[in-house]
Amino acid sequence: MSQKRHSASPDGEPPVVAMSDTSTLENKTGSWKYIRPIYRDQVAPCNATCPVGIDIEGFMNFLREREREEACKLVLRENPIPAITGRVCDHPCEKACHRRRLDQGLAVHAVERMMGDLILADLPDILLVTRPEKIGVVGSGPAGLACAYHLARLGFEVTILEAAAEAGGMLRLGIPEFRLPRRVLDRQIEWLKALGIEFRLNARIGDTVPWDDLGEFDAVFVATGAHRGRGMGIEGETGPGFRSGLEFLKEVNAGGRPDVGKQVVVVGGGNTAIDCARTALRLGADALVLYRRTRNEMPAIAQEVDEAEREGVRFTFLAAPVAVNRAEQVLESIECVRMELGPPDESGRRRPVPLEDDRFTLQADTVLTAIGEVAEFDYLPDDVEADGASVVVTLLGGTSSTVVFAGGDMVEQPRSVAYALGSGKRAAIGIDDYFWNRGEEEPEAADWDSFRFADGNLSMARWYGDDPIPRSAPNNRVVRPEDVNLNHFVPVPRHEDRELSGEASAAGFDEVNAGVAEQDAMDEANRCFNCGVCNGCELCMLFCPDVAITRGKNGERFHVDMSYCKGCGVCAEECPRGAIVMTREGL
Amino acid sequence: MSQTMIGEQIPQEELVTSGHLACPGCAGAMAMRMVLKGLGPQTIVVMPACCWTIIAGPWPQSSLKVPLYHTAFETAGAVASGVKAALEVRGDSETTVMAWAGDGGTFDIGLQALSGAAERNEDFLYCCYDNEAYMNTGIQRSSSTPAGAWTTTTPSNHPEAHPKKDILAILAAHRIPYAATASVAFPVDLVEKVQKAKAIRGTRFLHILAPCPPGWKYSDESTVEMARMAVHNRTFPLVEVEDGRRWRFTVDHPGGSVEPYLRKQGRFRHLTDEDIAAVQAEVDDRWALFERRVKVGT
Amino acid sequence: MKKVIMGNHAVSWGAQLSRVEVISAYPITPQTQVVEELSEMCAQGTLAARFIPVESEHSAMAACIGASAAGVRTFTATSSQGLALMHELLHWASLGRHPIVMANINRALGPGWNIWTDQNDSLSQRDTGWMQFYCENNQEVLDTTIQAFKLAERVDLPAMIILDAFFLSHTSEPVDIPSAETVDSFLPQREAKVKLDVSDPRAFNGLVRPDSYTEMRKDQHDAMERALSALEEVEVEWEQLTGRRYGAVEAYRADDAELLLVTSGTITSTARHVVNECRDRGDAIGLVKMKAFRPFPTAEIRKVLKGVKRVAVLDRNISPGHGGIFAEEIRAALYDVPLDDRPTIFGYVLGLGGRDVTPPVIEEIITEARAAKGPKREDLWVGVTS
Repeated sequence: MSQKRHSASPDGEPPVVAMSDTSTLENKTGSWKYIRPIYRDQVAPCNATCPVGIDIEGFMNFLREREREEACKLVLRENPIPAITGRVCDHPCEKACHRRRLDQGLAVHAVERMMGDLILADLPDILLVTRPEKIGVVGSGPAGLACAYHLARLGFEVTILEAAAEAGGMLRLGIPEFRLPRRVLDRQIEWLKALGIEFRLNARIGDTVPWDDLGEFDAVFVATGAHRGRGMGIEGETGPGFRSGLEFLKEVNAGGRPDVGKQVVVVGGGNTAIDCARTALRLGADALVLYRRTRNEMPAIAQEVDEAEREGVRFTFLAAPVAVNRAEQVLESIECVRMELGPPDESGRRRPVPLEDDRFTLQADTVLTAIGEVAEFDYLPDDVEADGASVVVTLLGGTSSTVVFAGGDMVEQPRSVAYALGSGKRAAIGIDDYFWNRGEEEPEAADWDSFRFADGNLSMARWYGDDPIPRSAPNNRVVRPEDVNLNHFVPVPRHEDRELSGEASAAGFDEVNAGVAEQDAMDEANRCFNCGVCNGCELCMLFCPDVAITRGKNGERFHVDMSYCKGCGVCAEECPRGAIVMTREGL
Repeated sequence: MSQTMIGEQIPQEELVTSGHLACPGCAGAMAMRMVLKGLGPQTIVVMPACCWTIIAGPWPQSSLKVPLYHTAFETAGAVASGVKAALEVRGDSETTVMAWAGDGGTFDIGLQALSGAAERNEDFLYCCYDNEAYMNTGIQRSSSTPAGAWTTTTPSNHPEAHPKKDILAILAAHRIPYAATASVAFPVDLVEKVQKAKAIRGTRFLHILAPCPPGWKYSDESTVEMARMAVHNRTFPLVEVEDGRRWRFTVDHPGGSVEPYLRKQGRFRHLTDEDIAAVQAEVDDRWALFERRVKVGT
Repeated sequence: MKKVIMGNHAVSWGAQLSRVEVISAYPITPQTQVVEELSEMCAQGTLAARFIPVESEHSAMAACIGASAAGVRTFTATSSQGLALMHELLHWASLGRHPIVMANINRALGPGWNIWTDQNDSLSQRDTGWMQFYCENNQEVLDTTIQAFKLAERVDLPAMIILDAFFLSHTSEPVDIPSAETVDSFLPQREAKVKLDVSDPRAFNGLVRPDSYTEMRKDQHDAMERALSALEEVEVEWEQLTGRRYGAVEAYRADDAELLLVTSGTITSTARHVVNECRDRGDAIGLVKMKAFRPFPTAEIRKVLKGVKRVAVLDRNISPGHGGIFAEEIRAALYDVPLDDRPTIFGYVLGLGGRDVTPPVIEEIITEARAAKGPKREDLWVGVTS
């Protein structure tokens, strides 16, 4: 202070009063703190859960910012067929969604589907081949399509060999038209062809094409799926009136309309079972699903089960067939035993235990078995190691044979479109890695952690190293429920799919689920919490008592002026999405 | 919009500077920032003795980018009247005069001047940031201190015996055009109220609950959470009153037990379950009163 | 223009001619006519000011402070208990350097209730940093009101115009009222040197630490000292316009006096009359009227009292435990005068709570002060039987 500032006031001069002439900026109050905030992005649970490895949170944020094109690009980094997964994926992401704690989980599928349809509206430009290696992909199911697509984007020349007359694998053979219209699938294949992927149809390896013919390729990815129906192990299950559910679906999906009689019993609780029952219904039969556990344990997509029920499919839970009654080689009925749920088995679900004395009889003209399929890969050379029903692969789909990679339903993993897509992507990375680092050992699985969202699938964006989302000091940990501050969100009902009425849908093979309207899908994206990733909501800026947080420059979303931040931690506490942590780092 | 995107809802303008001398996690500092965002730079602040006397910075500093007149403890209502009269008489009808006082300067020593000004319907906005005790002097009880609270003049074996004064009803009884409560945990609601008040002529009163980490004895980062809990559990309902008659809730108050709110604060640590039940009964009773006001007016 | 008006209205007319912009006041006997008249003027539009009818004297001063801080000319009036209630803010107004002008009608403080005049209310505010001018008649009241604004705004200190309850406040006298043009030329609209201004936002009165506070006090004190010379300049200018001049100190028939009376307020007029009679008789009695109490006109007091043998100070006030306040201040002012030139001070305490100070009372004092060897005590209580 300041005699300098206080020169006595002569007449006409201002009096010496305590009038400010500077701000408080000279007080470096940041020296008071003992902890400081860091913007540290975490991983949204959806991203960590997605078997494909899609940056779901990322595309939702682009959509919220009305960056539709960027959102589509981000999906296409990881998933070549969002129009299809938007329809048929079971979306484990929605079960992991933190929004369920506020109202209902985000309808990720509806948003993905909207983007997928947008993407298919135009055909893409052809991808340039920049690599000398040619890759063969055996099988055009989701695993094969994904692997081929990612390899093509990586610059490889890719050829898909498909045994059937049309591409799509299980997407075409196993999924009924009323869930996945053929026009969508056809357009998707057309779209992939436009990228420059070659499709060779009617090319069954080990049959029309000998394995050795694959020698024209520098590496091969095989994903021929699992097609042979598993038996129930009861006497008479191979006789008249009994069919593999998958074979039945294949026939109908190919345009066949077999006679199944009046009463169809479907055994199983997965998507194949539900698809069989709904298809049988459309052929004019009464359909009953017989499942040995309860509805809660059914692996089928819950929404599909609801739709089936609405259409008139009946369910008998906690029962399994034990005997077959035929008269003159014609199926009359099956005998079933009631079950109860015992202690959990290795899958975590409660094991069904038969109540031997409690039996009943079900009339049946046709019994469709849908209790799982077995992979067949006799065509593989001996040096490709297998473990019983599956080909043994590394994280990146590598088999024991150097340039042979495998994925999809023929490797040990959950059998779903999403897992198939994920395995195809991993193998593409494996093949890319192989040609970059030829001759070197594939790194340990843990070494790939930086290429995943937490423990989710590998991310192409991370493999390329050009993630378009700026991330602040990410710690690659999944956002915990307690990291999310629900108070900054208001309940907004989830946008539910538009569906045909049960009566209308059961009447034919039209697509039952029309998704949500485009604007509703955009609004649905707004419901996303953007868990773990700063979306610039500015609450930290507003709540900072010390005005220490400003909009950042040069890609930094926010800047904390450590000269003034007192380390109160309100920003981290109030961050709606757990993107700020308090730390002693740097102090 | 299902999530809070502040940039779209609250003015960006910043009229408080860093380096002010508020304690870490001070809701009073947050409140000033938010209120000035609502008022804008054409504002003159009148400030009686309160925590902000210190927060504003020692001479020759100021942490406000608007003119600020520090005045004696009990005078905010009167000084603000004078400032406004001076502006008016020189033809300035645009500048907002805002009195910024703590609970002591509002509920206690400044009540007379405030009441006088409110009765005359002087044209200014009076903001009380309420930290429920004389915090600047070291946590002595005021008539805003809630029943059961420890302060340095209501020790925990003889805690505050009287419920908090119903200052909003007192102001509403003056039939001023606008009176409201607000909370830093509901910034959009707060700033909307400020903007609404700014557009009204006459005496406008805004009562902002300002949780205080050192005075309430909770950890710094929980300031907004405390403010939010107080609203959610109906300890501090967010309402507005027009012309002293039309009462309205401005946010949802889910209700529920006050216990988690009290237990988070060291100043209530000594409370027994019976004591908490008594606080709950008082909160419930007041809530019922608020509901009646909203239903039928005063 | 001459009008017969009471002292309170002389205050009001002075404020009106000064074109005050904000008035804030609270009623108290005997001040009420001041603000009644002003509120009437505001209501009728003959004064373009905002009148704030506050709920207390404390708020009256607070509102004046706010208005003055915002840069306008500000006025209030009060008395006695009201002034005492303002005490805190009198300091605030002065150290905040707000040139507020206030009329204080001297009235005794309670208890018991007493509405009549004495000076203890204003003199109790001695150290608040307000200029204090004690007026003798209604003309002086009006003139001083106008001059006070000019002076206050020049040195950035508040000023108090003081008049006796009833003897002036409610007593009608002919007053020459200057024209608005005359006053406007003397006192243009206030232009504050610093003020609350959104185009130059500053904080006023923030925390001032020990390393700075003394400088602020010193500047306040210096301004008070400067006010003495400034008052003289203001009076010269006023005299040029009106022909009237009062002085911080007025010596009346003081030449070669063996005894000088020192008075303030309306006692002065009574004393003038007695002095005239004494002089007519050939008694060398003179009068010194003190108008300015703060700033204290030390040099002038020394000049007029130096070498006089006896001085009788008539104090309508008492500092309990010490004595009459003017007497004590004068004693202190004369301490540095060499002993040979230093008068003997007789300090009379009289007229408290409105008790009449009549010519015979003053005659008695003269008689006693001329005859006594010296004062028996520092405080000589007049008319009190002990």
